[in-house]
Amino acid sequence: MYFDLHCHSVSSDDSRATVEQYLKWIQVLRKRGYTVDGIVLTEHRKFDFDKDYAQLANDYGVVVLKGSELDTRFGHFLVYNVSQGLADDIDFADVRMDARELMKAAQHHGALAIPAHPGRFGIGLVEFMDKGEIFEDVKIVERLNGGGRPGENERADELCDSRGYLGTGASDAHLASHVCVCMTNFEMDISNEADLVAALLSGNFSPVRLEETSIG
Amino acid sequence: MALELEYDRSLYGKEHEAGPFEVTEDMIISFNQSISQAGPCYNNKDAAVEAGYRGIIAPPTLCTLFVRRVQLPDINLKFGKTRFHGGQRVQAKAPIVAGDSISASSHLKEVYAKTGRSGTMVFIVWETTFTNQLGEVVADVQESYAARE
Repeated sequence: MYFDLHCHSVSSDDSRATVEQYLKWIQVLRKRGYTVDGIVLTEHRKFDFDKDYAQLANDYGVVVLKGSELDTRFGHFLVYNVSQGLADDIDFADVRMDARELMKAAQHHGALAIPAHPGRFGIGLVEFMDKGEIFEDVKIVERLNGGGRPGENERADELCDSRGYLGTGASDAHLASHVCVCMTNFEMDISNEADLVAALLSGNFSPVRLEETSIG
Repeated sequence: MALELEYDRSLYGKEHEAGPFEVTEDMIISFNQSISQAGPCYNNKDAAVEAGYRGIIAPPTLCTLFVRRVQLPDINLKFGKTRFHGGQRVQAKAPIVAGDSISASSHLKEVYAKTGRSGTMVFIVWETTFTNQLGEVVADVQESYAARE
């Protein structure tokens, strides 16, 4: 299954795309011969407990999952399978939180937190590792980010290759036409957030660019 | 080591009002020229009336002319050295028509921090509601200002 694991709807302060716009654009991509199965809305510094996209997902035939992208003092982290318990333990708006504590709390609550765009200049995990910070719980990183500047995904490649990390792919879309430019190809079926975490922990996935999903 | 934002939180819940501002045909036509709005309902009263409006209608962003007329207080944010405009969002709710009298009411919506390639920034977001003489809300405008480390 092909999933975009990182995109932002208008619920994030810097996105102009509605969820329905994303889903309409995915229909365009499908007509062009690309394969897209699902997306994960990873809104900035929050989790939308009150939002239910089940009807839209059903209408457009796309799995729509919810997650978060949290700012930490060691860069941004994508969090999947967020629960109320995790939100009670972690202040999602705290941009100076320790990513190591976030990863441990996520694991405790059945979620998974992974570094987003680790090669990003100035804010990616690589910057902090280069300064000597150690992140023992990192096993998976976002290797392929659709919003990366030249050189940033290459730094993520080097990170994965040198440390043996597994890598995901995602668009980091803030505009409708950007969604799914990069995705993750999973071997397992995924229909909810718990499935997604299980699929990530299984290790059976790989980052792909949209062009690689073409069935034409 | 959480980032505790220090600012005047007593401003939440307070409305800062301005107006009413008279919307004239000259004002609308000048605004149209500045953004190349040539549509008949924006420039010709007969066409506007025929389309069901009370008079020529203004582009929805006209209300941004009035946003700065609201005297907003300093929130006394203790963060950063550089301030800049962080953008506007206009949500049109009803047509603004020549002859309308528009009132503005602004309140502090939120203050939050975010991090990016250039470091930490704090955003101050004000929300202004514009209402016409009939009591209709014609637009909501969110305007943000950013402070950078």
